Amino acid sequence: MRDFDYIAPKSVEETIKVLSEYKDEAKIIAGGQSLLNILKQDLMAPEILVDIKHLSELDYITYDEKEGMRIGATTTHHAVEVSPLVIEHYPILSEMEHTLAFPQTRNWGTIGGNLCIQDPTGDVAPPLIALRATVKIVGPNGERILPMEDFSTDYYETVLEEDEILAEVRIPPMAPRTGVAYSKFRIVEGDAPIVGAAVAFTLNEDGTCADARIATNGTAPIPLRIPDAEAVFKGKKITDELIQEAVEVAGEAMECIPDIVASDEYKKRVAKVYIKRMARKALSQIQ
Amino acid sequence: MSEFSVIGKPVRRIDGLEKVTGAAQYTTDIKLPGMLIGKMLRSPHPHAKILNIDTSAAEKLLGVKAVITGPRDTLGVKYSNWRRYPHLMDETALAMDRVRYIGEPIAAVAAVDADVAEEALSLIEVEYEILPAVFDPLEAMKDGAPQIHEGPTVRNNVSEARHFEFGNVDEAFKKCDYVREDTFYLHPVIHAFIEPYNSVARYEGDGKLTIWTSTQTPYYIQTLLAMALGLKEGNIRVIKPHVGGGFGGKMELFSDQVVAAILSMKTGKPVKVELTREECFEGGRRRHPMYYTLKTGYMKDGTILAKEAKLYTDGGAYNAMGPTSLYLSGFFQMFPYAIPNYRYDGFHVYTNKTPATAMRGFGGPQAEFTCDSQIDMIAEHLGMDPAEIRLKNRMKPGHVIPGLAKVESCGIKECIERAMESTGWKEKKGKLPKGRGIGMGCYGFMSGGVFNWINSPYAYSGAMVRVNVDGTVDVYIGSAEIGQGSDTVAAQIVAEKLGVPMSDINVVRGDTRTCPPDLGAWGSRQTLMVGNALIMACDQILDKLYKTAAALMGPNVVYDYAAKDGRVFIKERPERGLDFVEVVKAAIRADEGNQLIGRGYYTPHDKGMVSPAYSFGAQVAEVEVDEETGKVTLLQVTTAHDCGQVINELGVEGQLEGAFVMGQGYTLSENLVTDQGKILNPSFVDYKLMRAPDVPENFTSLMVETYEPEGPFGAKEAGEGLTNPNAGCIANAIYDAIGVRITDMPITPEKILKALDEKKKKEAKG
Repeated sequence: MRDFDYIAPKSVEETIKVLSEYKDEAKIIAGGQSLLNILKQDLMAPEILVDIKHLSELDYITYDEKEGMRIGATTTHHAVEVSPLVIEHYPILSEMEHTLAFPQTRNWGTIGGNLCIQDPTGDVAPPLIALRATVKIVGPNGERILPMEDFSTDYYETVLEEDEILAEVRIPPMAPRTGVAYSKFRIVEGDAPIVGAAVAFTLNEDGTCADARIATNGTAPIPLRIPDAEAVFKGKKITDELIQEAVEVAGEAMECIPDIVASDEYKKRVAKVYIKRMARKALSQIQ
Repeated sequence: MSEFSVIGKPVRRIDGLEKVTGAAQYTTDIKLPGMLIGKMLRSPHPHAKILNIDTSAAEKLLGVKAVITGPRDTLGVKYSNWRRYPHLMDETALAMDRVRYIGEPIAAVAAVDADVAEEALSLIEVEYEILPAVFDPLEAMKDGAPQIHEGPTVRNNVSEARHFEFGNVDEAFKKCDYVREDTFYLHPVIHAFIEPYNSVARYEGDGKLTIWTSTQTPYYIQTLLAMALGLKEGNIRVIKPHVGGGFGGKMELFSDQVVAAILSMKTGKPVKVELTREECFEGGRRRHPMYYTLKTGYMKDGTILAKEAKLYTDGGAYNAMGPTSLYLSGFFQMFPYAIPNYRYDGFHVYTNKTPATAMRGFGGPQAEFTCDSQIDMIAEHLGMDPAEIRLKNRMKPGHVIPGLAKVESCGIKECIERAMESTGWKEKKGKLPKGRGIGMGCYGFMSGGVFNWINSPYAYSGAMVRVNVDGTVDVYIGSAEIGQGSDTVAAQIVAEKLGVPMSDINVVRGDTRTCPPDLGAWGSRQTLMVGNALIMACDQILDKLYKTAAALMGPNVVYDYAAKDGRVFIKERPERGLDFVEVVKAAIRADEGNQLIGRGYYTPHDKGMVSPAYSFGAQVAEVEVDEETGKVTLLQVTTAHDCGQVINELGVEGQLEGAFVMGQGYTLSENLVTDQGKILNPSFVDYKLMRAPDVPENFTSLMVETYEPEGPFGAKEAGEGLTNPNAGCIANAIYDAIGVRITDMPITPEKILKALDEKKKKEAKG
């Protein structure tokens, strides 16, 4: 690891100022659970670390019947995992956090940090995409709101400009008759996922599909939302045959990268299994 | 055996408190005034000639205190544990003129801190001539393959061949109803100790040196370091602080130790060398990959008449402890079965990869995977219960392996039966729902090696026990506590023998200046060997105490005496006795104040070529296989282990559980992946170790107690044997669950899916 300077701004405003000044020489650190490993391996060598972990104005979980949930970027995984509001309104998020790495990591790592590091196998993005979440980005020219699935651009890259930070995750209230499920495949527990899938269904009163969302991790450089597979369900009664059809369509969209643990072919195969299982599970929550 | 006070009881580790509170000192905690940091430059090439090393720029860097290279600053001595067999000694601390694997140390620097040392490394310029390299043992043995070592005893990269044979194998095959031949591949894994290789050396002038280092074998380090540095063995003091695991990977002299010493001698300052995790992968050691062929002849009733095993092992660039792994793999291939006709041919082959060496099981995990897999294939062919065929062919107490071993105590029958009973084997085998299965693996293992490759004139283990006037006891042992609990076992043995509480025992260990020589922690030798040495030492003390007690009490007939619960008393009349401390004081006064000391040693007599005693065990695993992903879940694992008399129940349990988890990772997830000699996963992110949540919740350790006449109180091995049966046991359970057999380790989910696909294709055709 190379030497770096360290700045701990006292507010979001000051953070933006610091970023505007140092541009690409600076790197934000929150929980440091991914970044420190990257620095240790010399894969990144910022001149300055800007520490926002202690910014309490970014550490909150709120819920409003109309607006839904807002989670500040520096909220830890653990805080999300055990939040009564999360458990009541979006239990899938708490479940996801419960299986994210280990308690030590969850105590330090933040939800915003996880999204910003943009590891393509990250746990947080797929369920958020399934929940139709958006993100609030703050920069020198104010704020902008983007759908979750538009946040990531490539391996370890996001839409954030050098002087912007991710400030908040927003999740709309769950529509009635909605089921959401997420799970992931690992060989060793506590590891990063090899692949994972999140599926959400909202049904019409007649039981046909009003809306479907499918998002996977580990199957592309970014968390992959698969609209073609979602479209299979629209307006139809969801059956096992239909799920199988959607799974095949989803498979076409995936570009898995082989690694030491698994081949691309195997990853795709398992991702399809997980879409199928999560679709069944999401459906079972409504029926 | 309820008459024991501490033996066989679940005793808390004597180093437990300091370890769990973080107070325990490891080598990395040693910080000396003026200490410099040493770092090594390593080869980026798998095979190359070194034409020139230019260190001038590194030497000029501010903060650099010394830069050393092999040819300029070392004696260039080839060293290793093979002092008795010099043709096997092939490694130097720093490369002399050639590098043979990626990660081989070439030069080293000492600097004021780690950053400067690393900067200095980047300024060293090495000119290489790249040589063709070879990475697979079967390729390396072909004519025309690159030759990794020259020398009269190396041909086609084979550095050592092992052959043993008894009975008449060819005749026996002819008599057999069936003969089957199967081939297997075993993959490389690493020791994965939590504490990296690290050392602090302090040269004191006049040829005297102290080194603190993480090792399983302080005495080996002392003698081999003397050899590498040209110093006298007795002038080198090796201190082994607490050690964070070894598993066979820390039983040799390593470059960090030699380099720290030379840098300290050059600079006159203490020098610390600590490897990073990546360096432990690249510049460390690993378990041998092996190509195994087994030919086994058997009768219709399941009796195995003959076996022939052929093995090619990928040794990497240097011998390390490979020749012994090779020998033992062929040896354990027989265990725990009575094979009347056996032939083994093993070849240790050099490749341009990180050297492989001893690792928990020492050739056994590879042997038992192949043996246990094939026995199940035979059982299936004959329509027999795999447990029954194991019982039929099992070794019995008193079993002799001609020319190699004599097995005294042997509880394999009881182990198999108890494991079956505890798991409901008969109700489950072949009867579980699809996707679930049950499998068995069996093993036998050594309790210390009858190997003196280091060629030491000293006994295998030594001990000194001193009783102080207040009844407290100082125990001096050279055996190496590396986390396995051997110091606690030593303290228990002394407490039991002298009849004093555990809290009165002080164990003095890990320092070659004060402790007797001992060959160290390998081959599951410490309980048996240092245990016997301690018993001898305690008996000398007891002899003095009993005589003193007799003189003090003056009974009118000659009685036998005993020591227990802080008293020395007449054995037949326990009410007649004296306080232990009173007798100790009197004994010391009677001897003009001379300290009350006992000395003991142990060296095996007439115990064959391998070990004084053998442990046995049987393991049963129940698995569930996800047929859509290939993932294996362990539902229940039961081990019945015969370790003779249990010394520390908690210790045995811990060792069995640890050995199982290591075997679980070996079987299902761990794999050291290389491409052209480059390790692709040199980190614990990419190298998949099992972690706490992966350990099956239902793990049962059953201790089958036998009495081993050669063991202290009848005790045998408990720390290593159970590493061996896991792969075969799990593979057999997977076969029972889904009908596919993986013979190419590790058993990954992906391989299982492929095998299932092939099976479905076959079924569709047939």
